[in-house]
Amino acid sequence: MLQLLRCVPRALGTAVAGLCVAAPSQPLPRLLQPASRLCARPFGLLSVRAGSVQPPSLLRPRGPCACGCGCGGLHTEGDKAFVEFLNDEIKEEKKIQKHKSLPKMSGGWELEVNGTEAKLVRKVAGEKITVTFNINNSIPPPYGEEEQPSEGQKVEEQEPELTSTPNFVVEVTKDGSKKALVLDCHYPEDEIGQEDEAQSDIFSIKEVSFQSTDDSDWKDTNYTLNTDSLDWGLYDHLMDFLADRGVDNTFADELVELSTALEHQEYITFLEDLKGFVKSQ
Amino acid sequence: MALALRDLQRAVPLRRARLRRALEALRAALGVQRFAVGVVCVDNERIRQINRIYRRKNAPTDVLAFPFHENLKAGEIPQPAFADDYNLGDIFLGVEYILQQRQENEDYYDLLTVTATHGLCHLLGFTHSTEAEWQKMHQKEKQVLEELGQRLGTRLQPLSRGLF
Repeated sequence: MLQLLRCVPRALGTAVAGLCVAAPSQPLPRLLQPASRLCARPFGLLSVRAGSVQPPSLLRPRGPCACGCGCGGLHTEGDKAFVEFLNDEIKEEKKIQKHKSLPKMSGGWELEVNGTEAKLVRKVAGEKITVTFNINNSIPPPYGEEEQPSEGQKVEEQEPELTSTPNFVVEVTKDGSKKALVLDCHYPEDEIGQEDEAQSDIFSIKEVSFQSTDDSDWKDTNYTLNTDSLDWGLYDHLMDFLADRGVDNTFADELVELSTALEHQEYITFLEDLKGFVKSQ
Repeated sequence: MALALRDLQRAVPLRRARLRRALEALRAALGVQRFAVGVVCVDNERIRQINRIYRRKNAPTDVLAFPFHENLKAGEIPQPAFADDYNLGDIFLGVEYILQQRQENEDYYDLLTVTATHGLCHLLGFTHSTEAEWQKMHQKEKQVLEELGQRLGTRLQPLSRGLF
């Protein structure tokens, strides 16, 4: 371990020597300093974990932490600024949070939330309909690079409202049956933010398959109907089938509202966790 | 060729399969099954926007047609040189407006069919700016709806009746 610690500075030294040859007229210290700073944290961790001979004083923590709390942890000026930034961000996000609790879906759907995954369940006349979605990576990037605010412009005035449009999976199970009809549904990807020009359906079915209700795992060996090359008549019947079970354009709109609220709630929780993590020892 | 049906609105719950059946029968009655057609169902707000932009009329309406082939003579079937040009264009159906205009004894899907017939005739060069043009269009709509009646058992009257 000690040998490794000694080796790294030597390797840096060689690199520096190379730099000297390549650019003899340039002042070197500026190039060297950031490299040594980057190494400081891993060295400290290694020496503590190894429990070996005490490293030279350069690698040892200098008593209490920099912030003066006396915990001995690594509290840098950067961490302090980070926590302050997070405090402001959390305050701002809470200010613009539309829903303090998750909005309800109309049509008698029951909601279960497990982390970033939400499940809507509805039972109608001998059938169980389950709609599942995950809010991770559900916010499409803003449309059009040229619309990014330039430096100095007020971001608050230009920032578009973020909308979460997750893919969602509808499972329809008949009472007493061991198989579920599974329909993979998507919102249009390419036209977010181009509302005026959009001519895509509010949502579309991408894939359809049967899955066993006994298996928790999705079976790729089951036939999957891809709707890209599907007869339009059959596609329309599938859309009507969903509408009869409460999955229509209104449902799709309400799901966007629910998903956006859940995403925002999880984002704020994440920021709070991040703040707590950065602050802790 | 495909008949692309899009439903961009929440105001009226639509039965897509039923509407498609009528539209496919209309295409057959018009003799244009080889041509792609887009039928887009929109609410009052969307059709008002389109009407304002393209016709400078800031009001909702029942149907707007955007022909792919311009300057067709009334009833002329296009003769495209390229496969991609087997396209008649798009019609926008103001499904919310159509529902609001419906009389008590009228079937909503019959009304959609009659309105779509009118739009499809516009895609084939029919217009109703003058009485002579209207007579041609009205005659065509009547003929198509009669043929549709033989296929689907309906008895529908043209949308353009009584325009002049």
